[in-house]
Amino acid sequence: MSKIKELFESGKFKSAFIPYFTLGDPNYNDSIEFGKTILDGGADILELGIPFSDPVADGPVIQRAVARSLKNKFSFDEIFRVTKQIHLHKQETPLVYLTYFNPIYHCGITKFLDNAKDSGVVGLVIPDLPFDTIESETLFQELRLRDMDLIHLVTPASTKKRIEALRKTSTGFIYYVTSFGVTGERREFSVDLKERIRFLKDTIQLPICAGFGISTPEQASQIAGYADGIIIGSAIQRVIEENGQDASKAKNVLADYITKIRASIS
Amino acid sequence: MGKNQPGYFGEFGGRYAPEILTEALEELESTYQKLKKSKKFKKELEFYLQNYVGRPSPLTYAERLTKQWGGARIWLKREDLNHTGAHKINNAIGQALIAKFMGKKRIIAETGAGQHGLATATVGAMFGMETVVYMGAVDVERQNLNAKKIEMLGAKILPVTAGEATLKEATSEAMRDWALNVSTTHYIVGSAIGPHPFPTIVRDLQSIIGKEARSQFKKRNHNLPHAIVACVGGGSNAIGMFHAFLKDKHVAIYGAEAGGLGPKPGEHSATLTYGKTGFLHGTKTLIIQDEAGQIVPAHSVSAGLDYPGVGPEHAYLSQTKRVDYRMVTDEQALDCFLEVTRVEGIIPALETAHAFYVARDVAKDLGKKKDLIICLSGRGDKDVTEVLRILGERSK
Repeated sequence: MSKIKELFESGKFKSAFIPYFTLGDPNYNDSIEFGKTILDGGADILELGIPFSDPVADGPVIQRAVARSLKNKFSFDEIFRVTKQIHLHKQETPLVYLTYFNPIYHCGITKFLDNAKDSGVVGLVIPDLPFDTIESETLFQELRLRDMDLIHLVTPASTKKRIEALRKTSTGFIYYVTSFGVTGERREFSVDLKERIRFLKDTIQLPICAGFGISTPEQASQIAGYADGIIIGSAIQRVIEENGQDASKAKNVLADYITKIRASIS
Repeated sequence: MGKNQPGYFGEFGGRYAPEILTEALEELESTYQKLKKSKKFKKELEFYLQNYVGRPSPLTYAERLTKQWGGARIWLKREDLNHTGAHKINNAIGQALIAKFMGKKRIIAETGAGQHGLATATVGAMFGMETVVYMGAVDVERQNLNAKKIEMLGAKILPVTAGEATLKEATSEAMRDWALNVSTTHYIVGSAIGPHPFPTIVRDLQSIIGKEARSQFKKRNHNLPHAIVACVGGGSNAIGMFHAFLKDKHVAIYGAEAGGLGPKPGEHSATLTYGKTGFLHGTKTLIIQDEAGQIVPAHSVSAGLDYPGVGPEHAYLSQTKRVDYRMVTDEQALDCFLEVTRVEGIIPALETAHAFYVARDVAKDLGKKKDLIICLSGRGDKDVTEVLRILGERSK
């Protein structure tokens, strides 16, 4: 059984809290500290962003984070080193990578997955790799061999036909994109969010976690009322952006924010 | 979707776009399949191409250049004489009509040199559609005339300041806009790139260049040319020119890509020479990238060639060696820009100047009594300020 499946079946929480941040922003060693802080604050699953130069599914906050990260020399060795350090801090919390497909392709799928698994990663989210591509099918098979998960995105524009089709090659949880557009904080969500999530739950036998735009404890609490998990990226990245020059201050602000969100969805 | 399915050219192409865009891409594909067979659509497209764009564009015998270069006879396919001054309008008109059939009221585009932005703003004005053009802030500066024209036509220019602030970043930003507004907006992709079905749609719309050139040449000379040449950034004018000749095995085909300042990463946009297979902006193609799969900034004196990727069909034609792609440096392109201007009385776009440089070599190799057609993809008015600036710096 995959680590993520085990976690959702454990009944430890009503709704999972899945924070995201980009590795290497503002530097790799601070990333280790931020990761530990977020884990201590109550993350149920931690999503780590591997920076890619052209993040087309991301809004301005994460774009800037990626740009800051890439000012450091990017290498997979460094990514895996940092990931492992975060993993060793709290080994029971599953780590997931979010990245675009080109870096994985270049690293080589099997080499990437072996190293990712060795560093404590149990699943992947790849926004620019649709499930109905040869590469996604290959990746899915390779992940299964390692008991790792391929987490697909479903959006308000995804048709019923596509949602049914992706069931075969989807594990872990579904990353439900709450609204049209790219990542970034929003004030309002689409009116039919609750119904869409309910429809997904009925159609796919996987936990449905909602992301894109969630930032406040109120929003988190509201969506956690009907989603199996909530994913927060840009709001966390903004804390790092605003305080990252002073790592200890950033850790304090992060800890405070994470604790508040965790409390709001318990 | 697999590599033997529509949308692939050998191993290249496909649809690697965020899920939010998939529905729109599928709608575009099915609409286009219907429209391709629709007499009404074909008639309407033909009407605008003839009466608005000014097609067919002439095939001009370049007598003075032929003498100057002392080799094969040089013919020019005059896309510079189209309305708005480049081949880009062929695609913009076609896609605007597709958008109209789909009931989309808003169109967006990315642009490098500004010619595609200008073409999109033009069709936006003509069809009364809200138009937004994403343009790198650097390109807004170096292609200021086009930027001003776009605004004058009533379109909104959104300068993109991220990264190198050129075409790559403008493309990413246009994709983000589309993700947000996908139900009301059509993204008029400007080159034969992007997720399926864009490379096929743009190729089909631009293939009128090669079809006309082939039949015009045949009518005048009762045979086919020995060679054809076009410049390649994303590669829409080139694929449009090449497509009608691909099956004519005895017609040699050459593509000219931007060798920029030299072979080091960041100095050029020579995707077909230095690129490696990868995934960018929704397609699998050859891309200039580092060993970790991060995209390396591209450079060219010509804003229209300044892109680290290339249309997937070109990647395939390069792999199968049907097309011989060659690099041309900034210096070589500039020299040819000046030479063609003075000898033939035609100011070519800096992009096209790259094609002229390759053509000069090919013409010499072919020798006399042979024929070569160059796709003159656009006129160089937009480049005059930039060329004068560079020449000024050179003379210091």
